[in-house]
Amino acid sequence: MNAGHSLPLLRLKETVCNQYDPYILIDQFTKIVHCDCDSFFASVEIRDNPALQGSPVAIGGSPNQRGVVATCNYEARKYGIHSAMPMHQAVKRCPNLHIIKPDIAKYRRVSRQINKIYQEYTKLIEPLSLDEAFLDVTLSQRCQGSATMIASEIRAEVSKNLGITISAGIAPNKFLAKIASDWNKPNGQFTITPGQVSQFIQKLPVHKIFGVGSVTAAKLHALGIKNCEDLQKWPLLELTNQFGRLGARLYELCRGIDNREVIPHRLRKSVSVETTYTNDLIQSRHCFIEVERLATQLFQRIEHAGVDQRVSQYWLKLRFSDFRTTTASEACSIINPAVFDKLLEKAMARSNQNIRLIGLGVKISDPLSTHQMPLFKD
Amino acid sequence: MQFTTTREALLKPLQLVTGVVERRQTLPILSNLLVEVSDSGISLTGTDLEVELVAHVNEGIDVGSSGKATIPARKLFDIWRSLPDGAEVNIKCEGDRAIVRSGRSRFSLATLPAGEFPGVDATAGDVELSITAADLRRLIEQTSFAMAHQDVRYFLNGMLLEISPGFVRTVATDGHRLAMCTLKNLSEGTGMQAILPRKGVLELSKVISEDDGDIALAISKNHICIRHSEYTLTSKLVDGKFPDYEKVIPRDAGEALCADRNELKSGFNRAAILSNEKYRGVRLILSENQLTIQANNPEQEEAEETLVVEYVGPEVEIGFNVGYLQDVLSVLAAETVKISVSDANSSVLIEAAGAEDSVFVVMPMRL
Repeated sequence: MNAGHSLPLLRLKETVCNQYDPYILIDQFTKIVHCDCDSFFASVEIRDNPALQGSPVAIGGSPNQRGVVATCNYEARKYGIHSAMPMHQAVKRCPNLHIIKPDIAKYRRVSRQINKIYQEYTKLIEPLSLDEAFLDVTLSQRCQGSATMIASEIRAEVSKNLGITISAGIAPNKFLAKIASDWNKPNGQFTITPGQVSQFIQKLPVHKIFGVGSVTAAKLHALGIKNCEDLQKWPLLELTNQFGRLGARLYELCRGIDNREVIPHRLRKSVSVETTYTNDLIQSRHCFIEVERLATQLFQRIEHAGVDQRVSQYWLKLRFSDFRTTTASEACSIINPAVFDKLLEKAMARSNQNIRLIGLGVKISDPLSTHQMPLFKD
Repeated sequence: MQFTTTREALLKPLQLVTGVVERRQTLPILSNLLVEVSDSGISLTGTDLEVELVAHVNEGIDVGSSGKATIPARKLFDIWRSLPDGAEVNIKCEGDRAIVRSGRSRFSLATLPAGEFPGVDATAGDVELSITAADLRRLIEQTSFAMAHQDVRYFLNGMLLEISPGFVRTVATDGHRLAMCTLKNLSEGTGMQAILPRKGVLELSKVISEDDGDIALAISKNHICIRHSEYTLTSKLVDGKFPDYEKVIPRDAGEALCADRNELKSGFNRAAILSNEKYRGVRLILSENQLTIQANNPEQEEAEETLVVEYVGPEVEIGFNVGYLQDVLSVLAAETVKISVSDANSSVLIEAAGAEDSVFVVMPMRL
């Protein structure tokens, strides 16, 4: 008897799709400002050392220690340098590049000062990182309620008091505000009024859509979809068939719809630490010692964040010398460093390459959700 | 090696012994049963290196020639149970094959050398105890449901067996709830504690599920050996320290509520339908002679059950994983249950009103 398989009776394609109400309106009322500092880390450094003004500056790790560019100023960008580029490559493109080691504590201080200025306009601020934030100014009384004027006042205030320039986008939702802040960057602003949305969105290339990375963009291009106007011609059903859940999101975004709210106190969803090694680690006992060291750091952070009671999952990430990344995880609700040893073994078994990066983390459960109390307190 | 028997003579022994064999094996021979035939009868052995079960059968066996071999357990059992009732079966080993014949059916199974079958090297027992099957069954039934499953605190993935002067006790907990059963006047021995692994407990409960009679327990440092009529179960013990369970049993936990077990159980069963599928939370609201059970889910559907109970005390609102309460009410055989509640953040004590050999502790849920 040969190994065989039975032929399919029917070719079934799984299609999961909810009927969707096509009646979609642009929110006429909400006003969101997206503030984005221009090359933030570099701007702070240049402000503190004006001699650097006009020359290419990059903030990041040293080129012979596998550093990458965290931020660079516009002079450096002229050489084709961009963030996340390996520093040795950046130096190759621009030999007289000024490299400055990042001083995160300093940037955090400046970020807090900027935030104070935002606070005078609205309390609904959602920081995305040290240099980016969404402001919901719908109910702000300042500037007769004009979001465009609020944005220009904020930019002027920050520039005057802190010597940093900010670009701003003003729109009826987060998605459009973020695109708008990029429109007149650096040191500029752009407003999309509710009435302009449908016209603006048509010419927007698909890769500008939040959540569309290179893979999805390529897939969209292959389908002949270049911009949102093309995308709008696709019915919801087709999009969900092609892209699953992202399809439904694309259906909304290409019409300029985004109902996500500005959430002032972003809940911590995870705590993590990671290290990229100057020299790749050989898979050995030493990796376990490294994991133990990282775990100690991680548990300090967890405790510092006050979330030790809400740990719900542990994960360990390895990046091998061939840049492939693997993650192992396990559900566990108690503080137990031994879990990481198990995860390391699991992850190491997936490749015999040397290890370039080790990351450890825990997921934090929502404090508002129900919680089973433990019987044993220790 | 050759013998003839009937389907019925080996059906139950094969089922129990095959139960020990894990479906996924690292060592091929572990998916086989060791079959040993001697003049006095046959013995079947299954193992996963942690738990070993041996069945000795001497009735209804017609021995042709003695010898031993290992035969794929699950395949043999699947063949065996699909044979017709009362079928006569002949097993004969030839080279590396075992030939199973019955009526007009013939099966040829691949064997592995019996000499390679791993045994559990249990040493002689330090503590020995004789107990009736009914008592051991009760000790296991009352507690085993509360054992943890694949918890990183590996010592919770099992059942504590404690033999003290005057009583034998079992305790199991998963860190959220605990069950304890104590039978008095069973032993005079010195105090000792052992943790039986989860699998050993589950297999043992199958072995002793029906028959009565006496059981001999022998516990050494690393193993427990349990002999019951024709079965011998040997299990490794969990090497670890069981948590101090006495500390978490509330001794004078507040006011007590008494309720009819069946009413309470069906109330929980109905309310559970509309509880959050993941967290299974229900809210209990206690007021004078009344208990209200409320549940709701993310779809905002709601259930409410009101029961008449005996309760005199302050009004208390407390949340629970309804599964934990259902588990307790399933093993409590009494007509009336007593639940002692103090406040929304403290554990409750559940007992049978009357038969008090078992106590159950459940931690609340913050809702």
